[in-house]
Amino acid sequence: MAGNILWLLLKCFANVAVMLAVAPLCEGVIRKMTARIQSRQGPPVLQPYMDLLKLLGKEDIESGESPVVQRVAAYLALSMAMLVACMVPMGFASPMSNVADCLVLVYLLTMCGICTLVAGLAAGSTYSLIGISREMMTMITLEPLLAIALVIGSMHTQSFRLNAVLDGSVYTIGGFPWSGLVILLVMIFAFQAFIQRLPFDIAESETEIMEGPLMEYSGPKLAMFKYAQMCRLVILAALFIALFVPFGSRLMFPLGWLIFWAKVLVLILAVTLVAATHARYRIDQAVRYFAALIVVAFVALVLASYGF
Amino acid sequence: MSLLSKAREAIICLKAGKVTLPYPAQPHAPAPNFRGRPIFDAAKCIGCAGCANNCPAREILIFDPCQEIRVLHYLGRRCTYCGRCADVCPEKAITMSQDFETATDKIGDLSQHLELFMSTCQRCGRCFKESSPLEQLKLKGYRCDDLEHEHVIFRSQSYLKDAPVVDDINIELD
Amino acid sequence: MFKSLCQKMFGRSLWVYHANSGGCNGCDIEVLNVLTPYYDAERFGIKLVGSPRHADVMLCQGPALRATAQALRRAYDAMPAPKLVFAIGSCACGGGIWHDTYAVLGPVEKVVPVNFYIPGCPPRPEAIIYGVAVAVGLVDKKVAPVTFKQLELPIPRYHPSDLHGQDELVVYEKSETL
Repeated sequence: MAGNILWLLLKCFANVAVMLAVAPLCEGVIRKMTARIQSRQGPPVLQPYMDLLKLLGKEDIESGESPVVQRVAAYLALSMAMLVACMVPMGFASPMSNVADCLVLVYLLTMCGICTLVAGLAAGSTYSLIGISREMMTMITLEPLLAIALVIGSMHTQSFRLNAVLDGSVYTIGGFPWSGLVILLVMIFAFQAFIQRLPFDIAESETEIMEGPLMEYSGPKLAMFKYAQMCRLVILAALFIALFVPFGSRLMFPLGWLIFWAKVLVLILAVTLVAATHARYRIDQAVRYFAALIVVAFVALVLASYGF
Repeated sequence: MSLLSKAREAIICLKAGKVTLPYPAQPHAPAPNFRGRPIFDAAKCIGCAGCANNCPAREILIFDPCQEIRVLHYLGRRCTYCGRCADVCPEKAITMSQDFETATDKIGDLSQHLELFMSTCQRCGRCFKESSPLEQLKLKGYRCDDLEHEHVIFRSQSYLKDAPVVDDINIELD
Repeated sequence: MFKSLCQKMFGRSLWVYHANSGGCNGCDIEVLNVLTPYYDAERFGIKLVGSPRHADVMLCQGPALRATAQALRRAYDAMPAPKLVFAIGSCACGGGIWHDTYAVLGPVEKVVPVNFYIPGCPPRPEAIIYGVAVAVGLVDKKVAPVTFKQLELPIPRYHPSDLHGQDELVVYEKSETL
């Protein structure tokens, strides 16, 4: 029993450590690729590590309406990201698959978004409030998409276990997986919005509302928020790959793990290509876009419940 | 359709390669007519103060500690590199160089300070006094710009010790 | 040890906040040019941020006006330590052509303490990159004050206070030799 728990903790720790080490590297690759697409040299690939280290060395100014809530929001953001990392398969099976299920996953992912809202409320300035109202509108129309994908998966495999659902479960039915393909299409179009990159980085649109909810953060707390955002990228990429392109992840240790990270890299390059060539959407355009996607996702849900 | 056109954009930019100038590593010369920092040549300067009278930013200050010495102080702080001083100088003692790498952490580093010897009349050493008052008005006399507060003082006949400095505007900073 | 690592990383990743306190926007455009692909500033790790609380460096342009001096001071106070201030352009370095007009208090250093000056009107993008490189320590600065003296004192001089007499007869009291 104790050995089991120890083994569980070790696996979680390995997952979290790998994610924390690799997340800034992914962000660095995005920035370098964006720079190359714009024909310029761009920062070195290890730049986000230097950014985070520099932010950790700065003075921490507590400002805004309630500094205690600010602190809570910052710590919560990073801890939620680390917790979700324990539940997501990154090349291995999900460590917490026999103690958690995919409903908890959905709740914790939504919690990550709520941390941004709390941060903006704690700051209390006009720009933050505008930022979080936009973030709320985005979240309301976007989180159901991931929930629908997981529900479709669990409907097909008749179980909520993480191991069963996060294993390409949207395709596992007898005939042709119509609902799987439809929801795959929906998630491809919505992925850019989940990780909050252009054209959907509405909540933190820099030049328009001075970085929105994160406006009053400085120093170490800003480092935690930025780290949490980078980790969200890796976690959502891992979820997408586990749900929709799990081929090859069941191989033996070095090969399966390397294939997983290669898939993450390809996904990141696709994300960068879209982000570097698009302009930001307005909030009403974005909400209309997500509403269309939700309608299609409901169609997929109906198809799945009828067994297609 | 729009995705294809964006992909084409990305390919065009990628084909352009890397257009970034490797600037601090390699020097980059400006265009031939570029006006950089003005350089004052003390050997040619005759101390006429034409440059000081024409500078739009009042950057060149003239101070006469005594009859024979004229101090010309170019501050360098608010120079707009317009080149009027170089145009006006009768001896071509000012050249606008092509130097633009003038960043510094002490603003006094840009100053150029010239102390020039103005020769005196050998008979009595006084300044000439013109015959009529109208001619006297045209004389500039001593210049006593305030070098310490970096102000130009627009009086022409004031003597040195007793000349009060022009009053600063009293501005409140709340 | 961790702290010294963080401090070493300060020069490699400078986040910049752009504060124009009343200039003509010429220097604004040159700063914007520095962020374009031709003179890319992001290769030094420099990123433009929208809030002074996120920034390490404040780029000040334009002289300190009477109307905007308070706002500039508040933006400076909002930045977390360690912070740098760069004064870009002649207006920020010394008041520019407007140094003695009614609306201008003077150069930016009357309101915030300045660490680096980048003069020019407007400074070329290369000059701005050079200034940043000097601040970070990549290159050495190239200007130094120049003084030239044609003659050393004492020389015989006829000072007005040594001239006595009135009207027609003026006598020189002292006489010094070289």
